[in-house]
Amino acid sequence: APIPPPPVQRWRRRVRSEYMRLRQLKRLKKAEEVKAVFVSNRVKIEKQTSILNGEWSNLRIQSVPLSSSDGPAATKKMCTVESGFPGFKVQAVAMRPLSTVTGIPFMYSWSPLQHNFMVEDETFLHNIPYMGDEVLEQDEAFLEELIDNYDGVHGDREGGFISDEIFKELVEALNQYSDHEDENEEEAATAAPTEKKEAERAIRRSSTEGKIPSDKIFTAIASMFPYKGTMEELKEKYKDLLEPPSLVKLPPLCTPNVDGPFAKSVQREQSLHSFHTLFCRRCFKYDCFLHPFHATPNVYKRKSKEIRMETDPCGADCFLLQKGAKEFVDQNMLRSQRFRKRRRHQLQQQQQRPASASCPGPSGFAEESKDGESDHETTSSSDGNSRCQTPTKLRPVDDEAEQPASCAAEWSGAEESLFRVLHGTYFNNFCSIARLIGTKNCKEVYTFAVKEALIHRVPLEDGGILPQKKKRKHRQAAALLTASALSIPDNSSNQVYNYQPCDHPDHPCDSTCPCVITQNFCEKFCQCEDECQNRFPGCRCKTQCNTKQCPCYLAVRECDPDLCMTCGAAEHWDSKVVSCKNCSIQRGLKKHLLLAPSDVAGWGTFIKEPVQKNEFISEYCGELISQEEADRRGRIYDKYMSSFLFNLNNDFVVDATRKGNKIRFANHSVNPNCYAKVVMVNGDHRIGIFAKRSIMQGEELFFDYRYSQADALKYVGIEREVDMS
Amino acid sequence: MAPHRHGPSAGGHPVTPGGAGGARANGLYPPSSSSSDSKKPNMQVVQADHELFLQAFEKPTQIYRFLRTRNLIAPIFLHRTLTYMSHRNSRKKAKRKSSKVDNLLFRVEKMQGDQEMHGLASNLQLTFTGFFHKSGQPSQDCENEQTSVSLEVLLVKVCHKKRKDVSCPVKQVPAGKKQVPLNPDLTSPSGAGHFGSFPSLLVPSSEFETSNSYTVKSYSLLFRVSAGKRPYGIQNEFYLCCQRYKRRSSPLREDGENTLVAQMTVFDKNRRLQLLDGDYEVSMQELTQQCPLNNMRATWETILDTKHMPPLKAFCDGPTLRFTLRWTSEVCDGSTAPVAKPLATRNSDANRESSGPTDRKPLHAAVKETINSDKVHTRAREHVPAEPRPKLRIFYQFQYNNNSRQQTEARDDLHCPWCTLNCRKLYSLLKHLKLSHPRFVFNYVPHPKGAKIEVSINESYDGSYAGNPQDVHGQPGFAFSRNGPVKRAAVTHVLVCRPKRSKPSLSEFLECEDGERQRLRSYVGGLNRLYFRSDSCVPRPPQEMDVDSEDERDPDWLKEKTAKQIEDFTDVNEGEKEIMKLWNLHVMKHGFIADHQMNEACLLFTELHCAHLVRQNLRRNFLLHLVSMHDFNLVNTRTIDQAMARLEAAAHGDKQPAEEDEAEEEDEWETAEEFQMETDQEPSESEDPNRWQESQSRVLN
Repeated sequence: APIPPPPVQRWRRRVRSEYMRLRQLKRLKKAEEVKAVFVSNRVKIEKQTSILNGEWSNLRIQSVPLSSSDGPAATKKMCTVESGFPGFKVQAVAMRPLSTVTGIPFMYSWSPLQHNFMVEDETFLHNIPYMGDEVLEQDEAFLEELIDNYDGVHGDREGGFISDEIFKELVEALNQYSDHEDENEEEAATAAPTEKKEAERAIRRSSTEGKIPSDKIFTAIASMFPYKGTMEELKEKYKDLLEPPSLVKLPPLCTPNVDGPFAKSVQREQSLHSFHTLFCRRCFKYDCFLHPFHATPNVYKRKSKEIRMETDPCGADCFLLQKGAKEFVDQNMLRSQRFRKRRRHQLQQQQQRPASASCPGPSGFAEESKDGESDHETTSSSDGNSRCQTPTKLRPVDDEAEQPASCAAEWSGAEESLFRVLHGTYFNNFCSIARLIGTKNCKEVYTFAVKEALIHRVPLEDGGILPQKKKRKHRQAAALLTASALSIPDNSSNQVYNYQPCDHPDHPCDSTCPCVITQNFCEKFCQCEDECQNRFPGCRCKTQCNTKQCPCYLAVRECDPDLCMTCGAAEHWDSKVVSCKNCSIQRGLKKHLLLAPSDVAGWGTFIKEPVQKNEFISEYCGELISQEEADRRGRIYDKYMSSFLFNLNNDFVVDATRKGNKIRFANHSVNPNCYAKVVMVNGDHRIGIFAKRSIMQGEELFFDYRYSQADALKYVGIEREVDMS
Repeated sequence: MAPHRHGPSAGGHPVTPGGAGGARANGLYPPSSSSSDSKKPNMQVVQADHELFLQAFEKPTQIYRFLRTRNLIAPIFLHRTLTYMSHRNSRKKAKRKSSKVDNLLFRVEKMQGDQEMHGLASNLQLTFTGFFHKSGQPSQDCENEQTSVSLEVLLVKVCHKKRKDVSCPVKQVPAGKKQVPLNPDLTSPSGAGHFGSFPSLLVPSSEFETSNSYTVKSYSLLFRVSAGKRPYGIQNEFYLCCQRYKRRSSPLREDGENTLVAQMTVFDKNRRLQLLDGDYEVSMQELTQQCPLNNMRATWETILDTKHMPPLKAFCDGPTLRFTLRWTSEVCDGSTAPVAKPLATRNSDANRESSGPTDRKPLHAAVKETINSDKVHTRAREHVPAEPRPKLRIFYQFQYNNNSRQQTEARDDLHCPWCTLNCRKLYSLLKHLKLSHPRFVFNYVPHPKGAKIEVSINESYDGSYAGNPQDVHGQPGFAFSRNGPVKRAAVTHVLVCRPKRSKPSLSEFLECEDGERQRLRSYVGGLNRLYFRSDSCVPRPPQEMDVDSEDERDPDWLKEKTAKQIEDFTDVNEGEKEIMKLWNLHVMKHGFIADHQMNEACLLFTELHCAHLVRQNLRRNFLLHLVSMHDFNLVNTRTIDQAMARLEAAAHGDKQPAEEDEAEEEDEWETAEEFQMETDQEPSESEDPNRWQESQSRVLN
């Protein structure tokens, strides 16, 4: 029998072979995935192609019949292929010259966009820019410098890198091994009775799931991959890796679907949490492309006059006809008013606390209820599990079975949640609440409300204590946060800073207000009062708002449809003709542009319709990137001699390289027919391209890249560095 | 002046128009080398200089020569339509303004009526002033015996051919014989004053009526003068031919008398009146054997060629007969002659006839007309400096070899040297040069004798193709493989352009500054390119030109992206995700920008998606969404109520087959709209329309 190698070496060999096997598997798996994606893409492309072909066949255009234009002379010319082997005939085919097609300029692919799109900084270089086939010395130096700017290059540590996933699989695979090996060893050494072994193995097998494998494995791995740490560290890591799967399955902060069968009875803020946090009040969208953080609703600003009380009973069975109902309602009205006042106070208090300042909305409510009802605080459960309130309310909703007949009817979790949500809006207007809930009548709602009012003092959610943050896989907004926070406004220079809605409930907008510091007006998105001194009042124009008579035009702002009510900016949503000429960017009233090879260089933008002087032509759209990112990207673009960077303000740059619209092809000229202007459009800086003179149909568009009307905006990488020194 | 390598070196001899090198003619002065004061230069230097000169100007000149010829054959535009050439246009705008189609008919009818009147109601009165023959006739002769010649007037009627006739039947009706004074002294008061003393003759109107069975094709007057023993004779046109064929045994031929003959057409073949009231002088010709008029197809041109005497010379010394022609309605009274207006077609016809029997009247008319038009133009362009009419000399100074050398040529007229176009005004000439010959740069310099025009090569001439781009870029498979009518790319040339024109002034041709050059943008704009799709760089077929790919606010990738972004959240439940995705797509599609649009946005969302919401069981999530919007102070409770009610209605409708939902839903929406419109419309119709519009816009907003 061959002498078995020493265990350590044997283990090392095993580790290596297992590792190789796993990597191989991974590669295959990845290849399969890629193949599957490729195939599905192919299908998509084929579908699209057949659609396009169908369209083409409807165009009454025939394709060129082959070789018809060649004539007899051309067909006579034969192309032959000879092989040196005997028995193979010379193959010949008539030559068919194809007609030349005029070449078009070079273009990198890009995605169409009609609105700016904010992207995060890229700390990893996605690919090493291609500098031509010959790598020149200066290029090499440039590349080295470039890579230094980034944390790394994508796919750098491919070889020898052992990911957590592979590590775990490796340990598991080796664990199987070890059983078997131990067996063999023992067999060889002691030749113990086999039955015992079988039993032992069975036990071991069953226990492998939870058991930590032997140290031998970790020692072997540690010796193979020394940079991954010692044996103990690896063991710890493995233990950690065993943990998470259970957590992943049930995200802790996810409120169950209200329409789903597992809806739970939760507090109002929790029900609305996703909607509140993800909704962008500026874009009216959830998780918008432009604004990294969204302020949660400013609850205390809600117009109170709107909440009208229905004093008339809604029907014969209305709760108002019940005894004591009116009194209850009135009493609660008072209470809710007090309640709102107190909440405001609480919010202010809370703002002073740095920990919760970042997320004022959802925590505000919860804290209020906690602090406001402090006498009952002792009863509130402090452990994290309190989310699911009582076991009875966890029972699945059965809509069909639930009949409104039983007055003391069982309330499903969804209904209870809905009641709390609506109660925050409609207060004691139980008729409306009942109508909106749909499955309960107002009497039932009333009874529940009475019960709630009592329960209200008893256990409350403290879900708000942990600041809930909507998390997304592989996405971090931190980079953006720092980017915008870093710009320290300098009052002395004529700079333009990005607008951020201000939120400082404890004091009015004074010199400490971020809007004031950045020399921006407060917008409707700010949390300050409508009467704030720093608010822009809008215009009262009755004309076109295209002269400096219009305060909006003078302030290089587009008319705000919620402020300027007389100029027409707030009307005629469906027509392209608006009396106000100062709202073209927000409405996207661009001109039809065409793409053709430029008379100057590369591609050019051409206008299809004639325009008057100072008329809006198009918005210069692209990715919104930080100045730092622009510096990094600009270095590559400068090398390519083609840059689509456009400075927006001191914090951000518009980069139309990857995403943009057709105006990105407009070339630079010192004697242009267009000019660019950065305009404040409803809180966002946007770049408008306007006609410098009247432009005729079919003319190519040019604008001066360097000097836009807003002089403060500087060309990335050139003037800015000078400015800093 | 225009350089041409192979042209004859010396200018000055007449060249037929249209031939190459024609500009050398027409009074251009031969180039004077370099500067006028230079002494006799070396021959070689001159040659080298000329070589340089040719190098610079030959190519563009050849091109413009070619274009000139092409434009003559197939004109692209007429010069007279150009604003600065408007004086070439003889038509008056005033006339055009009042013109109507009906007037055309009226005019023709009136014309015919006139003719009829002439033909039927008027007599032709001829009063002979005298017979003049200077050179051939010794004055002594006339003194002793011949103070007069005998004149015979015949009215020749050429009738329509009848079937049996070989040629046109001709009838000669003697109108009368008169003694006409020979070489009377018209300057003497005795001769000039007595109009009535001259012999006169009347052709009655009845003669011009259709006679016998023959319809008369044309009438002409034949004057035959016989003077003693020296017979003259000539006859014109087919009359003579006919005569020679038919009346071989003519007595006037046989008796060997000297007979002079002339013929004038009174009514031509189309029964147009050719002779109007006026004084006429007719050149008489000898009827000789050498007369080549035996050819049936002889025309005035061939006759002209055979004459050894130029036509005008005939009037100077040839035998001529002067008479006054008058159409009178009454026999005795000459003053009441009908005033016949010259007809529109008359001028050209008269010109054609003028070589033979020449009348004076049209000449007068032409002169008058030019005077009139000149008046008009001087009035229209008061700012044009009045050009010295008599002698305007234009010096062309050619600058070449980097403006280091120059040659000067001068010419006396205002013809364009490249296209021989008569511009007639200095301003027009300059404007024409500038606009039609952009390969050169022309600068005007005032000159005491007229004008100096500096000519140099336009270095920045843009000769780019301005035609249909589809032809150049030749998309294979498009132009030649049409299957039925196919939309072509529209090529725009601005044909009607009314730019703000400054008052014409010669100063605009002075050496221009840079700022001015900018103004001279080409007026041929338009979409004369091949455009490409921005997504695929594929050429755009013409039928796609009106489609703007940027009209959609939500490109597909962005829709996918927003859905994916929301899907990526780990702590948002499926119901919330679904609502958020739907709402995002809704907002992206409609591009809402104002807070106060949100109420409507929510209602519209409900309308569009309620079936989907019901089907996907998203009712409560939607309610949460609405309440959240309310928390953001974007919608009011009424909107929540309305939206939920709409959803409720859809849910109850859902008990019926779910498939029909969407169609049903749309119907409902439409009817709802209609209903709204109707209710708004009803009260308004009785009231004023403004109210109605207001209410309309309220509905739309």
